[in-house]
Amino acid sequence: MTILRSLAKIVSIFLLITLSSSIGNHLNAQDGKALFSQNCASCHAVNKKLTGPALAGVEDRWPEKKNLYAWIKNSAAFLKTGDPYATKLYEEYNKTAMNNFPGLSDADIDAILAYIKTVPAAGAAPAGGAAVAGAPTEDQSDSTLVFGLLTLILAVVSLILLQVNSNLKKLSDDKVGIPATDPVPFFRNKAYIAFIAIVLFILGGYMTTVGAIDLGRSKDYQPEQPIYYSHKVHAGVNQINCQYCHTGTYQGKQATLPSVNVCMNCHAAINEYKGEPLVRENGDVVDGTNEIKKLYKYAGFTEGQPWDPSQAKPIEWVRIHNLPDHVYFNHAQHVNAGQVACQQCHGDIQNMGEVKQFSDLSMGWCINCHRQSEVKFKENGFYSIYETFHQDLKSGKLDSAKGITVEKIGGTECQKCHY
Amino acid sequence: MNKFFTILSLATVVVLTSCNDIKRTPGKIYMPDMAYSRAYETYADHSNLASQGINYDNRPVAGTIARGKEMPFPYAMDKPGDSTNYVASKMVPNPIDSLSAKDAAEAERLYLINCGICHGTKLDGNGPLYKDGNGPYAAKPATLVGDAKYENMPAGQMFYSVAYGKNLMGSYASQLSRHQRWMIIKYIKNKQTK
Repeated sequence: MTILRSLAKIVSIFLLITLSSSIGNHLNAQDGKALFSQNCASCHAVNKKLTGPALAGVEDRWPEKKNLYAWIKNSAAFLKTGDPYATKLYEEYNKTAMNNFPGLSDADIDAILAYIKTVPAAGAAPAGGAAVAGAPTEDQSDSTLVFGLLTLILAVVSLILLQVNSNLKKLSDDKVGIPATDPVPFFRNKAYIAFIAIVLFILGGYMTTVGAIDLGRSKDYQPEQPIYYSHKVHAGVNQINCQYCHTGTYQGKQATLPSVNVCMNCHAAINEYKGEPLVRENGDVVDGTNEIKKLYKYAGFTEGQPWDPSQAKPIEWVRIHNLPDHVYFNHAQHVNAGQVACQQCHGDIQNMGEVKQFSDLSMGWCINCHRQSEVKFKENGFYSIYETFHQDLKSGKLDSAKGITVEKIGGTECQKCHY
Repeated sequence: MNKFFTILSLATVVVLTSCNDIKRTPGKIYMPDMAYSRAYETYADHSNLASQGINYDNRPVAGTIARGKEMPFPYAMDKPGDSTNYVASKMVPNPIDSLSAKDAAEAERLYLINCGICHGTKLDGNGPLYKDGNGPYAAKPATLVGDAKYENMPAGQMFYSVAYGKNLMGSYASQLSRHQRWMIIKYIKNKQTK
């Protein structure tokens, strides 16, 4: 009997411990989420490289927990120990020093690490990814709908209250014996007229200003092209590099539109489209094979026969991104020297069926990017002429740890674009 | 009542058309001072220059060689069905003896952009366009590494194929300069001997 009792005791204690420890873990992950968003999230994401590395699997990369604690609490001090992995990280991220977190205890760091483990991997489920991609837009439309409904309900309630108020007033007036005046219809009520006039004035002013700012800008411009060419199919599904067709981006001012022979490099062999259905913005379904036939017409190509390039006529694509003549823009300077990704200015181009202008190409937009983008000096031949900057860096006049923006090396000088 | 319905339907039409958010026109511009180029820009219509009394040819005189550039390839493209020049091109050596680390990186970048799409990032002839026959490109691209035929192919003959095209492969003369083409060939040769 005593044996049984002691066994029961042991089992219950064991259960208690596992239960409490599991609750403890759970709380840890919860706390970890808060700690993560407070301390880490401005530079780190779990599955994405930001200022610092993606944190998924960070524990596997740091076999010694003790070192990881030391690194997080004071990265500069830990670097001095000459740990090879820490040095590699520091070099890899352009010598951007990680902030020190002396306030985090080992338990706090454990909580953050526990939280990181609970976040599912980015590529875990493509279906989930699609849902996530769709979610933000849904959220937006949802909230506008909710706010719109709220406004409508409030307006109706206030109207009813006004009505009730006037009725009550009339009743009380009747009781006291004040003769009822003729009710003023709302369109002759001065308060209403004044209110509507003010609202119209503000609304009109706002729309005029927005319209005036948009003059000469063509954000979202999405013309119909002579051939339905889908960047989604070429750059997205088939992973053709942007520079395969836009050869000029790396070396010249113009990105260059591909000539017909570049299309024919592949389309001499690819003469039908068998992928996902192609749909125009307005919902019309496009026959991909028919669009390839259009290309053959421009190229003067008959299937099954050798192609004579001299028979080709240029395809007159409609240019979407236009800058005024008084602005100089050079692709090579941005793509080659500046190492800017195409998507930063042209948006999610590998997912566009019909291309639309993603950025407004306004001067404010240019300047903003020049103020924020950091110059990548490392292994970048273009900047080797900036000897003075190097000297300033050496003498400490320019502090590379704080990040050197394009503006600091003359990127917002007027003559850079207007000359 | 009739009037009311006409107004209502008109309003609906106006609302529906204004809700269409596909922007097919570039929009308006106010006082386009110095917005449009007075000079002929790259993508302007150049077809009518002569009729406007502008006689201009931006092509260099035939036979011009830019300073410091490679000599042109000595063989022209074969007529269809002929392969004299293709065979003769075997004798043309690669003017690039070796690639520096920086040039090798550049050659790899060029290879991945222009060639890797068919010939594969690992030079195995299985790029994203072919994908073991599941891609849109029906023909099997050349297996540059692992196939004796291409491993033994002289650099000059490779250059001929890149410059003029061979079989289903098109010419890359408009996308790659002579120097870049030789760099890529050196890159492939280096990979083959590894």
